[in-house]
Amino acid sequence: MTSIWKNNRAALIIVALTVVILGGIIQTMEPKVWVSIMLSGATLASLYFLVASGLSLIFGLMDVLNFAHGVLFVLGAYVGLSTFLNPRLLFNTLPIFFVLIASIMMSQHLGRAFWSRITDTRTRRIATVVLLAAAVGLVLLALRGFPMRALNAFNITAVGGLVTTANAQDPLALMLRRLLLLALGGVPLGLLLSPAERPEEVSLRPVWQTALIAGTSALIGILLLVWRDSGEVWMLALSPDVRFILALIMGTVAGALGGVAIETGLIRPFYGNPVTQLVLTLGLSIAGIDLIEAMWGEEANPPMPTPSLFNESCRSDSIIGWFSEHCQSVDVVGRAFPTYRLFIILVGVLVFIGVGLMLRRTRLGMIIRAGVQDSEMVQALGINVRRVFTMVFALGSALAAMGGVIAAPYLGVFPAMGSIFQLQAFIAVVIGGMGSFIGAAVGTVILGMARAFGDHFVAAGIDLPFLDTVIKGSPAIARASTVLIMAIVLLVKPSGIFGKKE
Amino acid sequence: MTTAPHNILEVRNIQTFIGQFHILDGVSVDVPDGSITVLLGRNGAGKTTTLKSILGLTPPRAGQVVFNGREIQGRPAYRTAAQGIGYVPEHRAIFRDLSVAENLRIAERKPGDLARREEFIFGLFPDLKRLIRLPGGNLSGGQQQMLAVARALVPENELLLIDEPSEGLAPVVIEQMMEAIRRLSAHTTVLLVEQNFIMASRLADRYTIIETGRSIHSGLMADLVHDEATIQRYLGAAA
Ligand SMILES: Nc1ncnc2c1ncn2[C@@H]1O[C@H](COP(=O)(O)OP(=O)(O)OP(=O)(O)O)[C@@H](O)[C@H]1O
Ligand SMILES: [Mg+2]
Repeated sequence: MTSIWKNNRAALIIVALTVVILGGIIQTMEPKVWVSIMLSGATLASLYFLVASGLSLIFGLMDVLNFAHGVLFVLGAYVGLSTFLNPRLLFNTLPIFFVLIASIMMSQHLGRAFWSRITDTRTRRIATVVLLAAAVGLVLLALRGFPMRALNAFNITAVGGLVTTANAQDPLALMLRRLLLLALGGVPLGLLLSPAERPEEVSLRPVWQTALIAGTSALIGILLLVWRDSGEVWMLALSPDVRFILALIMGTVAGALGGVAIETGLIRPFYGNPVTQLVLTLGLSIAGIDLIEAMWGEEANPPMPTPSLFNESCRSDSIIGWFSEHCQSVDVVGRAFPTYRLFIILVGVLVFIGVGLMLRRTRLGMIIRAGVQDSEMVQALGINVRRVFTMVFALGSALAAMGGVIAAPYLGVFPAMGSIFQLQAFIAVVIGGMGSFIGAAVGTVILGMARAFGDHFVAAGIDLPFLDTVIKGSPAIARASTVLIMAIVLLVKPSGIFGKKE
Repeated sequence: MTTAPHNILEVRNIQTFIGQFHILDGVSVDVPDGSITVLLGRNGAGKTTTLKSILGLTPPRAGQVVFNGREIQGRPAYRTAAQGIGYVPEHRAIFRDLSVAENLRIAERKPGDLARREEFIFGLFPDLKRLIRLPGGNLSGGQQQMLAVARALVPENELLLIDEPSEGLAPVVIEQMMEAIRRLSAHTTVLLVEQNFIMASRLADRYTIIETGRSIHSGLMADLVHDEATIQRYLGAAA
């Protein structure tokens, strides 16, 4: 249809151009070379995509550039790794979050009563400062001397085995006292985060519902703590495959919760004030990594073990063969390619299809697509758009964190692992068009391929038929290539390939 | 009319700020149940802002908005809308990437709303039926305006806020639009903003004139059409 051509002319031209360039490059290579380069590119693209898709949806819907998205990738990797290797760390630290969140949720209900008693702005400002000081003080007091370092040390001891090492954890009574102090510290935090002052805010749910959720949360926290020893033994006795799946789930859920925390705590109070939001997420991108270092240490961890499906030290002849042999690598037109990376590509494709279907086929997806264009109109139809914002933030954060978990066996786990993905995902989103889901996918594929081919030419050089010498690129050029591509695309179409807004 | 009509909506002396700017400085509007009431005034007078303040998109800082006897100012817009107020904004705000069908379905407040109202909506705007699969962005201006009104009719709304439905449309299409609004007003009360005085005077029962953020005049349309002085003074070339 002519309208499709008209609406997406720039997109089609750029995609066609990419295909032609790629085709030209491929012409000069043997199939086994370019196929494996493209698979490497697809692996990178998949990981970029898991970060970029959320970044793009969040920007499209809320006009928020979340610089802290890379932190969620790292958070996912660390939570996943701890679930896999060091559940003791989780059993001792998760209760802290469960209890704190429960306390914050409950005391938010006191917000209206509290703030309505203080009417003049000066007193309010003083109250805010006092509450903040009380919250920070109580939380610091609660966590004083918490044996984080010792808990971390377990990373090293237990690849796949049962650990019943001597206590590197606080006695139960001390931990419960810590939790009590945290619950107290949550009260001023909850008052600070209560929506009493902002009428256009989503109103609170009924008290009994909050009590139910908060009570469950606190109970889970306490039970985790009480059962920490038997829980740890049980988890480490599970097969590595089950633990891998648990790691994937825990990492993803941690990302989703992290996203909800960021949206409700930092972003939501400042809608309509984009500079503040930008500065806050930028700050969090630094402070978040500091927090992760404080919790898990600064040292790089070795790659997380892969599931047994990808573990046998052999090379299968085909994918079919790999299903029964579970080899580390598989033969792709004459070259070995790691099977785990095929899994990474598969996850990226599945997420693309899954989220794509959600956007096309469900009411939530319809609301998101509409909200990307005009969230005020969606609101005017009687839809609580703020709640959709939170859901999309949680979804985008969960995807990034999931990317972190599946990247953990491929890259290793270290505090800076997210920064490159944050940057590349950002460039991919700009290339593809801010707010476009398809654009995020296309942008990440272009970047992944550029990166993989760039790396290849740095290593092997370009042997052009009409030149006698082989041209070799420098690694710097390979890295810069992605920025160059971004510049070219933006010159052709300032809003990005599939972009609608400027 | 012999008995005093009940007002479905009463706007009482609202003050609205956008950022630093004091946009509305005392707007009051009464909208009797079942009527078509029109807001008149020059460009930039504050008509659109009045509609947005009613809905809560730009919440008034002072004054009351009373809908069906209940004060609703200060509530989030989505809740006010869900009470039964439909909004047809200036420039239509059709979702360009959603199909016509999706543009209608997104307005459902409970499952089945669209199915219940389909016949009525396509009776008013038969064109929409054959466009149902097209993206909203591919529609012409007139078709988009019809879709915007249709979208507001999907749930059972008691009040429609319609902002300049004739803007930028060809005369034939304006006639169609007027006819549609006349027919839908048999079911729903309408608060209309309309610069086209001919259209406004033929549709509306009552009017309120807004001038630089204040409501300065209101009454029966039947009286205004004879009041050349008022028309000249406040509406100028628009009439
Ligand atoms: N976001 C904004 N920031 C600052 N001023 C605004 C904003 N929106 C509207 N205004 C100002 O408020 C006044 C009223 O605007 P409004 O759109 O309500 O007028 P209107 O009567 O609907 O005009 P028109 O007939 O042109 O649609 C105008 O002077 C306009 O410039
Ligand atoms: Mg207007």
